[in-house]
Amino acid sequence: MNLTKTSPHTSAATFSSSEPPLAKRIVTSTAFMIAVVVLILILIFGLLSPNGVFLGPTNFRNLALDSAQLILLAVGMTFLLGAGELDLSIGANVILSSVVAAKVITFMGGTPEEVLAGNYSNAGVAILLGLLAAMVTGTLFGIVNATLVNMLRVNSFIVTLAMMSVGSGVAYIITGGVNVSALPRELQRNFGSADLFGVVPIPALIAVLIGAIAWFVMTRLRFGTHTVGMGSSIRAAQRAGINVKLQRMKLFGIMGLIAGLVGFIDISRFLTTNIQGHQGDALAAIAAVVIGGTSLFGGRASVLGSMIAAIIPAILINGLVIMRVGSFYQLVVTGVILLIAVGIDQRRRAAPS
Amino acid sequence: MEKLLEADITEADDPGLESTAQPVIETRGITKSFGHVEALRGASLRAYPGEVLALIGDNGAGKSTLANVIAGVHASDGGELLLRGNSVDVASVRQARELGIEIVYQDLAQAPDLTVSQNFFFGRELLVRGFGRILGKLDEQSMRQRTKEAMTLLGAQVPSLTVPVSALSGGQRQAIAVARAVMWAKAAIIMDEPTAALGTKQTAMVYDAVRAAADRGLAVILVSHDIPKMIEFADRMAIMRHGAVVSQMPTDGLELVDVLTTMLTAQKDEA
Repeated sequence: MNLTKTSPHTSAATFSSSEPPLAKRIVTSTAFMIAVVVLILILIFGLLSPNGVFLGPTNFRNLALDSAQLILLAVGMTFLLGAGELDLSIGANVILSSVVAAKVITFMGGTPEEVLAGNYSNAGVAILLGLLAAMVTGTLFGIVNATLVNMLRVNSFIVTLAMMSVGSGVAYIITGGVNVSALPRELQRNFGSADLFGVVPIPALIAVLIGAIAWFVMTRLRFGTHTVGMGSSIRAAQRAGINVKLQRMKLFGIMGLIAGLVGFIDISRFLTTNIQGHQGDALAAIAAVVIGGTSLFGGRASVLGSMIAAIIPAILINGLVIMRVGSFYQLVVTGVILLIAVGIDQRRRAAPS
Repeated sequence: MEKLLEADITEADDPGLESTAQPVIETRGITKSFGHVEALRGASLRAYPGEVLALIGDNGAGKSTLANVIAGVHASDGGELLLRGNSVDVASVRQARELGIEIVYQDLAQAPDLTVSQNFFFGRELLVRGFGRILGKLDEQSMRQRTKEAMTLLGAQVPSLTVPVSALSGGQRQAIAVARAVMWAKAAIIMDEPTAALGTKQTAMVYDAVRAAADRGLAVILVSHDIPKMIEFADRMAIMRHGAVVSQMPTDGLELVDVLTTMLTAQKDEA
């Protein structure tokens, strides 16, 4: 090597300050703060509810069961928001996936007479095929979303707004507007309202498991870095050689897969589809994700924060019902919490650099 | 001016350069058009290991286009790019990188929310060995270690490797971009106006980093408008006009007025 002009510097300390200690990072994280809020809510309702019913094991089981679906949707939405994308169609996806699954189950479950009587001769296979159908439908729905975003070069807000309409429309067409009901009771008994060790609802267990996997993917795998990196600057991601279209495809595919799973959980809990429902799913999930510390504009994502924040609506509904206050207040409170969270997010973005 | 034009490259007596030097990067007659606009009409230059080559010229002379062609951002329409004497095909940034040519973009192309070390390895993350590799598990420790080494090497100072780059100053971010390029580059670094948006102190910090990069044996091609600074700082200068390199010479003893005259009046000269 030939040195033409020598470096004028002699490098001394490269790093002028050290990193904050782990404990401080945890305490200042949004996930931690939102966990404190959740604990405070639980304490308040515990103190205010008659005989402390709110703190009883039965109520916790209900809370876990009621939040499972929103937790799952919020986990998927964390990846999308982190990547600077959005999926407003997840409610429609949940409905469509549940309808397809229910149709598959009734078709495979036995003769029409048996099915009408709620007596499935072939329940086991039918349920497994139903689960598969829900997951495939959900994933395909997500892939269609991503393909449209990639092809039309329109942002995902518009594309998924349109797909929300398309999805529910198709669900209505398939069912003729009538819910598919009288699904096999085995579905509920062995899955939808089944408990592990008699205490942990299976859907909640699935939500926590998938959340844990998602946390690992987000924080430890290259996939997570590419996801938030793309949300932080899509131009930088492209210049870094990341195939953002493919990444988008994977992200919407994962969101769709989760929506499909949620659709299956839905029919397994209630033994019927709910084609009029799930209208607020997308917004509830987005709210939870933003409250949990993920930036609405991409670049930062917290799976753990989303999961904790996704419990809030269930706590509010549950607590207010126990206190005999109208559960409608839950919507108001969730909205206020969302506003506070967005305000914090804005201030953080505007923080001096 | 005639003298200046004749003072062309290939001189083995170029003070401070290896006498046996082979150019790391050489372009021969590169052409590139955008629609009807001929941005490059046969641009030829040479960049040697261990030197800072300033690429200067008036607006629209084709400096950035030539830099981008070398870095694989634009594919050339014609002409030849040679890496250490071998003709290479560089159709994408990825290909250029594989050949050891890195570019530092004017806007840095950083992900502001990612940390310093995440940005260093963005798109080229190091993975752990074994089973985790299949999953794409990040080897964060190695990445941090190598980022630290690369930053120390250039004497670039940042508060911490785990802060998002958005929390750093413009000069720090620029220094990170240079350090990142140095870490990956095996042959050359192309920089487009690296100090355009910086204050005096930060500019000095970036020039230090650029010099340190050249000292590592890399060829640094620096696109710049700051001619007086380039005369002082760069080892050699390539002057472009109307899409061609009209003159290349060492900066020693060069006068600003000569450079300006060449830049504004020279006719195309096949270097």
